[in-house]
Amino acid sequence: MNIWEGFVVALSSIWNHKVRSILTMLGIIIGVSAVIIVVAIGDGARKQLADEMFNTDENAVPLYFEQMEMEENGEFIWVDPPAVSGDQLDQVKEVPGVKYVLGTNSGWGSMIHNEKNADMEMLGVDNQYFIAKDIKLLEGRRLNTRDNDSYSRVVMIDSLTRENMFKDDEEAVGAIIEIDNNPYKVVGVFETTLPPEFQQLDDFSNGQMLMPRTLISMMFGAPEIDTISVIADNPETLFDTGNAAADKLNELTATDGGMYIAQDMTEFVEEFDSFYLTITLFISSIAGISLLVGGIGVMNIMLVSVTERTREIGLRKALGATRGQILGQFLIESVTLTSLGGMIGIGFAALITAVAAMFLPFTPIINPIVVVIGILFSSFTGIVFGILPANKASKLSPIDALRYE
Amino acid sequence: MMKLSNITKSYGAGSLVVPVLRGVDLEIGDGEFVAIMGPSGSGKSTLMNIIGFLDKQSDGVYSLNGEDVKESNEKQLARLRNEHIGFVFQQFFLLPRLNAQKNVETPLIYSGVSKKERIERARALLQKVGLEDRMSHLPSELSGGQKQRVAIARALVNNPSVILADEPTGALDSKTGAQIMELLTGLNREGKTVIIVTHEEEIAAYTDRIIVLRDGMIVEDRKVTA
Ligand SMILES: Nc1ncnc2c1ncn2[C@@H]1O[C@H](COP(=O)(O)OP(=O)(O)OP(=O)(O)O)[C@@H](O)[C@H]1O
Ligand SMILES: [Mg+2]
Repeated sequence: MNIWEGFVVALSSIWNHKVRSILTMLGIIIGVSAVIIVVAIGDGARKQLADEMFNTDENAVPLYFEQMEMEENGEFIWVDPPAVSGDQLDQVKEVPGVKYVLGTNSGWGSMIHNEKNADMEMLGVDNQYFIAKDIKLLEGRRLNTRDNDSYSRVVMIDSLTRENMFKDDEEAVGAIIEIDNNPYKVVGVFETTLPPEFQQLDDFSNGQMLMPRTLISMMFGAPEIDTISVIADNPETLFDTGNAAADKLNELTATDGGMYIAQDMTEFVEEFDSFYLTITLFISSIAGISLLVGGIGVMNIMLVSVTERTREIGLRKALGATRGQILGQFLIESVTLTSLGGMIGIGFAALITAVAAMFLPFTPIINPIVVVIGILFSSFTGIVFGILPANKASKLSPIDALRYE
Repeated sequence: MMKLSNITKSYGAGSLVVPVLRGVDLEIGDGEFVAIMGPSGSGKSTLMNIIGFLDKQSDGVYSLNGEDVKESNEKQLARLRNEHIGFVFQQFFLLPRLNAQKNVETPLIYSGVSKKERIERARALLQKVGLEDRMSHLPSELSGGQKQRVAIARALVNNPSVILADEPTGALDSKTGAQIMELLTGLNREGKTVIIVTHEEEIAAYTDRIIVLRDGMIVEDRKVTA
C-alpha cells in the first residue's frame, strides 16, 4: 500500500467518525491557528509601524523634548518644553549636515463650507515647509513669510478637501471658508500627501490643511513651534546630524527642565520587535501546550481505535500484512488526523485574520513560513503520538486478534 | 507439500499449562482435499492456524516443501500467509467498510500489486464465484453465502497453493453450504490443496481424506470412498 492510498483510507476512516475526529483535532486546530493568527497580527502591526515611520520622510528625524524627572516638595513637576523661535531654528540649520529644520504646530478644527462639515487637523507651517517637503502646488500660491509675520487668516487646502467640500466648477482660491465659526481665506490648493487608504471620499473624510504657524499659535494659544524635525543632507548620518542639531538647540534654549534629543525611529521598531517576540513566545508556548494536549488526545483516540479494530488487524495479518505495514497504516492515520487538524487550523486562522483585518487599523499578514511550520509540526505531532498506538497494533498476534470478541 | 512431525501446542504457563495439540504427525501433499473433524475443543482450529502460519507450534517440526518454517521471522511468515495460503473463516471476516471488490483486493495491497491489476484480479475472481453483480456492495448488503463467496474470492486473489477453510459452512444453511462446497471442490479440481475443518459428515463427504482429532491427537486418517 503506498502512502497516498493510505491517506485516502485514513481520510475515509476520519470521515466515518466525524464528530470524534473533530473533537480529537481541536487541540491541534487551536494550537496551529493561534500561532498563525498571532504572527499574522504581529507582522501586520510591525509593517504598519515601519511604514509609518519610514515612508513619511526617510531622511527626517524628529527632535523630542525629553523631560528630566523633577521633584519639588515631594511632588513631580511637569516641565513644558522651552519656547523655540524661528530664529533659533535658523541657527540650528547652520549645524553642518543639516539641510532643513522644520518647526510646526497644529490644531484641530471643524471646517464648514457649502453646508458641508469636516473635522480636520490644521498644520501650522512656515515657508521652509514647502521647500523641505516638496509640496506640489495645484492652484493659487503657497504660504509665505509675510503670512506668518502678519498672522494672516489664510489657509491652503489639499486636493482631497477641494474635491469634497467645493463644487467642481467652483473657484477655490479666494473662497472664504469657516473654521470654528471664523472666516478664513483659501489662498492655495496642494496635492494631498495622505496615503491612498485614507483618501475616502465622504463628508467626514479628513483632509489636510496648512496655515501660518503664527496664526495657529494665536488661535489655540499654543507655542509657535511644538514639533521640530531635522532633515539631513546625508540620510546615512541622519541620526548623528539629528543629535548635533539637538545639542545646538539645547545650547540655544538652555533649560534645566529637560533636553532635546534626536529620536531614533529604529528604536521604536526594535522595542516593538522585542515586545512582539515576547508575545509570540508566550502564545507559542500556549499553542505548544495545546498541541501537546491535542497530541495526547490523538494518542488516546488511536488507542481506542486499535482496540476497536483488533479483529481487523488480525484479519489483515492473516491476509499477509507485515508488522511494518500495520504500523504504517496506523501511523498514516494519526498523521492524517493531525495534519488535517493543522490544515483546518490554517483555514481557521485565515478566516480570523480576514475578519480581524476589517476591525484592525492595519492588515494582518499571514506568513507562509509559519503556515508550513504549522503543517510540519502538526504532522510531526501525529508521528510522535501515533507511534505508541501503531506499535501496539503491529504487535498484536494475528490469532489473538482474530479470536478477540 | 507440508509435513508436520510431532507437533505440540500448549497454552498458558507453569502449572496452568493446557496442552491442546499433543504430538500431531501429518503429511498433506499438493492438490489434496482434506477434511479435519473432531469434537469441539479437540484442537482443529489450533492445527489449522499452525498450518496457516497464524500461530507457532510449541514443539515439533513443520516443514513446507522440505523447509523448516520454525526459523522464519515475522516478515517471512507474513509473506507466506500472503502468497501461500488463502484463509476462509466461519464468520467470514470481511472488512465492513469496504465493498466486495475492495475486500478481495486487500491481500494484493500487501503484496504490492499495482492498483490496476488489483482491480482486474478482484473483478475476475468475483465473477468466478458468481458475484459479478455485487462487486460494489458492502458486506452488510450481502447474504451469508455471498459473504463467504467474497471471502473465498479474497482467499484466491493472490493465487495461493493452499486454501484453509475453518468451518466455512458453519454459519450457513445446508443448501448454501453445499454451494460453497461445490466451489471449494472446483478449486481442488483446479489443483489447489484444500483443507477444511467441519463437524458435518455431509460436508466432509465432499473431500478425499478425513482426519479426525481427539484431545489434540489424530485418532483417524482415512480416504473417503465415494
Ligand atoms: N489463546 C488460547 N489460550 C488458551 N487456551 C486456548 C487458546 N486458544 C485455544 N485454546 C484452547 O485450546 C483448545 C482447542 O481449541 P480449538 O479452537 O483449536 O478447538 P476446535 O477443535 O477448533 O473447537 P471448535 O470445534 O469448537 O471450533 C480449547 O480447549 C481452547 O480453550
Ligand atoms: Mg474451531
